Amino acid sequence: MKTEEKLSILANAAKYDVSCASSGSTRANSPGGIGNAARRGICHSWSADGRCISLLKILLSNDCLFDCAYCMSRRSNDLPRATFTPEEIADLTINFYLRNYIEGLFLSSAVYASPDKTMSDMVDVCRLLRKKHLFNGYIHLKIIPGASRELVDQAALLADRLSVNIELPSESSLKILAPQKSRQAILQPMHHISEHKTGFALEAKKSRHTPNYCPAGQSTQMIIGASGESDLHILNLTQSLYRRMQLKRVYYSAYMPVNDVPNLPAPLSPPPLIREHRLYQADWLLRFYKFEAEEILSSNSPNLDERIDPKAAWALRNFDHFPLDINRASYEELLRVPGLGVLSAQRIVAARRVTAIREEDLKKIGLVMKRAKYFLSIKGRSLAPSSFAYHHVVAAMNRAEPASSSKIRHASKQLRLF
Amino acid sequence: MSELVYLYDGSFEGLLTAVAVAVKSPRPVHRVFAGRHYVPSLFATTLMVEGDPAQAERILSYLQEISKDAVQLAMQAFLSEDKDAANYLYEFIRLCLSRGAAVLQFHTNDSVRSLLNLSRKVDFEAHRLNGMLRFRILEDGVLYAPFQSDHNVIAHCAGHFQKRLAERTWILHDTGRNFALYWDTNSLQPADIDDELRAYTTHFGELPEHLLTDQERYYQHLWRCFHAAVSNPERENKLLQRSFMPRRYWHFLVEMKGRNRG
Ligand code: SF4
Repeated sequence: MKTEEKLSILANAAKYDVSCASSGSTRANSPGGIGNAARRGICHSWSADGRCISLLKILLSNDCLFDCAYCMSRRSNDLPRATFTPEEIADLTINFYLRNYIEGLFLSSAVYASPDKTMSDMVDVCRLLRKKHLFNGYIHLKIIPGASRELVDQAALLADRLSVNIELPSESSLKILAPQKSRQAILQPMHHISEHKTGFALEAKKSRHTPNYCPAGQSTQMIIGASGESDLHILNLTQSLYRRMQLKRVYYSAYMPVNDVPNLPAPLSPPPLIREHRLYQADWLLRFYKFEAEEILSSNSPNLDERIDPKAAWALRNFDHFPLDINRASYEELLRVPGLGVLSAQRIVAARRVTAIREEDLKKIGLVMKRAKYFLSIKGRSLAPSSFAYHHVVAAMNRAEPASSSKIRHASKQLRLF
Repeated sequence: MSELVYLYDGSFEGLLTAVAVAVKSPRPVHRVFAGRHYVPSLFATTLMVEGDPAQAERILSYLQEISKDAVQLAMQAFLSEDKDAANYLYEFIRLCLSRGAAVLQFHTNDSVRSLLNLSRKVDFEAHRLNGMLRFRILEDGVLYAPFQSDHNVIAHCAGHFQKRLAERTWILHDTGRNFALYWDTNSLQPADIDDELRAYTTHFGELPEHLLTDQERYYQHLWRCFHAAVSNPERENKLLQRSFMPRRYWHFLVEMKGRNRG
């Protein structure tokens, strides 16, 4: 098979993996070597679905022995199969990297042999890149559940980021939809990586020569909408992954029905894109806005509202806490105001250090008040229009969604029409 | 009394000199412009200021004394090529003379805020192009990246690739400003680009046929295959794609060739 065909098949099969982040590592170039890793990460292009392309995201093989119900590459599907050699992938990576198409490689694979054999071939790709081509760009490697600890450690010492996909948010869903995978086989390598990373970090404080173990940390991904878990269940899981396993990112992937199986949404039903988007917003609140999962959702209302972003929803539920005085509210309080982000909260704090903020300064500081005005006051005077009813606020929250949200809503409306 | 407007030649030295002269002017100065940005007005007295290395040097060391960020800000303002950059800088320095380094925190002051915004814009575009530059590998192994940008970011980008591709020889070519930098694995220097090559790449966004090696065509083709295959048709959202990757950058992007009506 020609490289071109393999590339199309294996990139196409890799598109269900969401992550494309290339951040968090600062690998420097080495003498005779190629490349480095930029801490901030760099996007190189955007695909027609509006997602950033930063890495050569590809499978080593789609020739799977497993039969996960939600997966295109499952064994019982009749479709073209391809497997790259490690050399082929290394060659593509280097040639794409030199032309500045990519930041590096994101390598995953179907389980085409035993988990150990599959994992070991993937580690070979990394070894070729790092040792033969002296490649210092970014590498994200997927861990195959069931691979040995030794292989996981080798992977961690060669790659920047590792990920083990949770796939489904609960053990019971896993049993039904991915019978050959067990919760244990997924969580155990996560645990292992998290512990070793901490160990190596402690070691590094004593000696400069400690190698870098999984320097950009680990991430995971779960499928949304293939099984019945509530958003609260998902957010609680996410929260514990961040806190207990020190994950860098949890990705959500709206389920796209690819197979006609009894337990899953029928083919052609639209992927729950808005729900996925709301989950990312809630995830953001956990990571950067110091929210707890239980503040965002509760057992009484365990699912995110599709019409409104979770921060606005929280603020509306706690409307009696507002308005906050823009000159007195703490940074943490400002972060909870709908319409204010990290940047605007920082600007407020910086500006009022010099002199108290007046109403006419708001625009100058670069604040967008469409949503925030209902929640802020200056010198005891609310910034909202003099008489407004609660439902005005709700409507305003709806109308003035951030651009990214409205684009997603717009696009999924179009999808529904077909 | 008519308005006083200072003009300079568009160089960094010229800008600093004009700002220095304006700051020292006994008469209130209305504006400072690069000559190419100035639209003549009946009511203004214009004064062309010649670049003077000594004056420029002095104002730079003054900014240096205030803080490293102030120098950075002046540099970025210049690179932004914004028509009001010199005005902002003039106001900024006048403020600094009376209030010192604290001025950098005056987010509610129009000029300070505008300078900070310009600086952010320049950094943003440089970062964007660090990702969106596309090298073509020539017969002799030199990597060549033609591009166009709103702001003058070639030096920022060169800094990035000096670290990343230190052991390769490469050329960055800002076709709009017709300025190119050549890295020979050791040092960075301005390079002359053949007029014909410049005209061709500027127009077509690609190397002329005879310079495209088979290898180069091969990897360009593979990259296009990859780019198409990795997208999810069920999630197609070209609006989102364009908001991250505006059309004006597509011209030199290997993967967007022929997609201009997407
Ligand atoms: S292991 Fe399951 S999810 Fe992974 S490729 Fe095979 S069938 Fe798909």
